[in-house]
Amino acid sequence: MSKDIEAMPETRTWRDIPQQVRPRAMSREGRRRVAMGAVRAAVGAVVLGGAAWGAWEVAAVLRENPAALPDSAKTDRVKSLVLVTDGVLDRNWLARTLAIPSNAALMGLDLIKLRSRVLADAQVSSATIVRNFPDTLTVRISERSPVARLMAQSGGDAPRMLLVSRDGVVFEGAGFDPAMVASLPWLDGVKLVRRGPAIAPIDGMDAVAGLFASAKLEAENLYRTWQVVSLARLASDGEIEVHTRGGMRVVFGTNEDYLRQIARLDLLIDASSDPTRPLREVNLALGSQVPVAYGTAAPTLGDPAPASRSAAPVRPSIALPAFSNLHADANREL
Amino acid sequence: MSFKTTFIGAVEIGTSKIVALVGEYTGREIVIIGCGECASRGVIKGAVVDYRAATECTQSALELAERDANERIDHVYLSQTGAHLEGFYNEASLNVKAADNMIERDDIRTVCELAKAKDLPLGRMVVHHIRRPFRVDGRLVPTSPENLVGQKLEVGYWTVHGQEQRLADNIHVIRGFNLEVSELVLSSLASGHMVTSLEERQNGVLAIDVGAGTTDYVLYRNGAPHTTGVVAVGGGHITNDISIGLRLTWEQAEKLKLRFGRAVVQARDKGEKVWLDGNFSIGDRQFPRQAIEQITAARAWELLEVVKRRLGHAFAPETCAAGVVLTGGAAKLPALAMCAAKVFGTAARLGEAPSWVNENLRDPGYHTALGTLYYGVSVQGERSAAGRGRGGFLQSVTRLFAST
Repeated sequence: MSKDIEAMPETRTWRDIPQQVRPRAMSREGRRRVAMGAVRAAVGAVVLGGAAWGAWEVAAVLRENPAALPDSAKTDRVKSLVLVTDGVLDRNWLARTLAIPSNAALMGLDLIKLRSRVLADAQVSSATIVRNFPDTLTVRISERSPVARLMAQSGGDAPRMLLVSRDGVVFEGAGFDPAMVASLPWLDGVKLVRRGPAIAPIDGMDAVAGLFASAKLEAENLYRTWQVVSLARLASDGEIEVHTRGGMRVVFGTNEDYLRQIARLDLLIDASSDPTRPLREVNLALGSQVPVAYGTAAPTLGDPAPASRSAAPVRPSIALPAFSNLHADANREL
Repeated sequence: MSFKTTFIGAVEIGTSKIVALVGEYTGREIVIIGCGECASRGVIKGAVVDYRAATECTQSALELAERDANERIDHVYLSQTGAHLEGFYNEASLNVKAADNMIERDDIRTVCELAKAKDLPLGRMVVHHIRRPFRVDGRLVPTSPENLVGQKLEVGYWTVHGQEQRLADNIHVIRGFNLEVSELVLSSLASGHMVTSLEERQNGVLAIDVGAGTTDYVLYRNGAPHTTGVVAVGGGHITNDISIGLRLTWEQAEKLKLRFGRAVVQARDKGEKVWLDGNFSIGDRQFPRQAIEQITAARAWELLEVVKRRLGHAFAPETCAAGVVLTGGAAKLPALAMCAAKVFGTAARLGEAPSWVNENLRDPGYHTALGTLYYGVSVQGERSAAGRGRGGFLQSVTRLFAST
C-alpha cells in the first residue's frame, strides 16, 4: 500500500505559489512595513546582543578579578561606620570586629565577608550591612540577651564566664552591665559541645528561660535567691533543679504550668516560716503532690552535737557549679 | 490553562467592495476589534484585473482595519472566489489490513491519500480538499473510523481547484502589503458556515452567496460540504440589465435596483411610474415600476436556475431538508428568498449572522469576511492545540525574526 502512495501523482496546491513579491510590485505602505520590520528586527537583535554582551562582560569580570571593576567605583573611602542595634554593643566593638583598613574604598568592601565577621560573634543574632553613599557603612544588628551564665574551662586555660541566651546560644558577652550579669543564675548539668569555631546551642534552654521569665515576673523575691540551675535531669525527666542561696533545692517540672508551681513554692515558703525547721527540699514536678524535706537550723557555737542523722545540719548541696561539665568533641576541649 | 492572545486578519477581495477584519482570539472566544472597508477597483467577477488599483484598495481596507484595531497583523486569511474555481469528486476505497478487521490510523491515511490523488490539468492548483464522511462497509461514519471494525473503508473528497495565475494575483495583492497569506478560504465555505447551523448542515442545506460579480454556493449534507461552486453572475448583472433595458448609466441603474428592484414581480399596474432621483433635478425622469421589477425578477430567477442546474442531481428538495439560505450583498434584493423557494422547490430564507457578531457587521455583505475570520480562528485553535507544550521562548524569538 505504501508503494501505491509513493506512486501517486503530486498534486499542486496554492501553497506552491511563491509568496515573495518583488519590491517594485509592493506599494509604498508595503515597502514601509518591510522597512519597519527590518528596523524592528535590527533593534531587537542589537538589544538582545547588547544585553548578552553586557552580562557576559560583567560575569567575566566578577569571575576572574573583582578588583578589575572600574576605578570610579573605588574612589570613595569609608569615612564613617554607623551601628544600629537593639542591644549593648557599641561602635568600638564594630570597628574591632570589622577591622576595615583605613584606606578601604566603600565599593571595594566585600559585604558578605564583613557580615560573616559580625555574625561570628554569637551575641549577634542577625546583621545587615548597607553601603550609604558616598562614604558611610551602616551595620544593623539584632543582639541576644542573656538569661543565665556558666563557667567553662578549656584545657589548661583559666576558667571563664560565658552567657547563655534564651535560644541556648552560648556567648562571651560584651558590654553588659556587670550588676545584671551578677544577678543571672548559674547553669549546671550541661555539656558544652564544639561545633566548628563556636559552641553548639544548649538544648532545652527555652524551657528554662520560660521558668526564669515566670519567676522574674510573678515572684522576683524568689528568683533573686536562685543561685544555680541544674539541667542534668531536664532531657531525661523533664525536671529543672534550682538551688537557692539559702541552700534549698527546688525541683520544677516542665510539664506543668510554671506559674502554678511558683505559686505553690511561695505558699510553702510562707507556711514554713519556722526558723528551726527550714525547708531544704521541695519537689514541684509531681503535680498536686509536693514532697517537702525540712532541715534544721545551722548549729551555732555551743550547741550540742546532733543526736541523730536527721537532726544533723544539712550541708549546702551545691556551692558553685562544677567546672568539669565540658564534653570534648572533635578532639578539642574548651 | 493560559493561552497567548493572537490577532487574526481576514480579507475578502470582492467585486463591489473589499473588506478586512481583525479579530482578537483569546483561546476561548474571538472578538472583532477592527474593520476596514473600501470600494473595490480593479476586480471583475472576483478576479484581479488591475493589480495596482486592487492593491491600493485592499491595502486601504487593511490599513483601516489595523488602525481600528490598534494592532498590527502579520498574516491574513484570504477568501477566494471567481469563475475559475471548479470542483470534482474523487473517492477511494481499500480493504482493511488488520486480520481482525480493525481500522488503523495507517488505513485511514492511505485511503485519504488515494482519494486526494488526482492529476489536475496544467495550470490548475488545489485550493481545498473537502472530505466527505467515511463509509465502513457502506455504513456512514461522520467522524474518524479509527478502531471501528469493517472490511472495506471508503472516503471521497470534493476537490476545489483554481487557475494558478488568478490565485497568485490575489496572493500577491496581499503580499504587496508585506502580509503573509496563511490560508485561502473558499468564499462559499466561509459565508455558508456563518449563516447555517450545525443542525441545518446535518439535515442538508444549500447556502448561496450572491455577490456583486459572482454567486458562490455550497451544498451541505451529513454535516459536511458536499458540493461547492461559483457562478460568474451576481448582483452586478442585474444592474447591467437595468442599465441596458432602461438606457441608464451604471450608477443610475444601481440606484433603481436598490430602491425598486424585486426578485418577484409585485407591481400589477403597468402605468405606475417611479422617479429616478425624485428630487426634480435636471435629468430626473420616470420609469415604469413593473419594468424594473420584471428585469430584476427575470435575472434573479435565471441566476438561481443556473445554480440549480450546476448542482444537478446533487440537489434534491428531499435531501435538503433545511432548505436554501441566501447571503451576500445582492441577497438583500427583496423577495429573493421567495424566488429561491420557487426555483428550488423548498423553503428559503435570508441568512443571518450569529448573535455574537456586532450590529454593524450583521449585513449579509460581511458574511464572507466573517466566515473567513471564523475559519482562521478554527485553524488557529487546531494549531494551538497541536503545538501546545512545544516551543517556548526560543520559538517565539525565531518567529519574531521569521515574521520580518
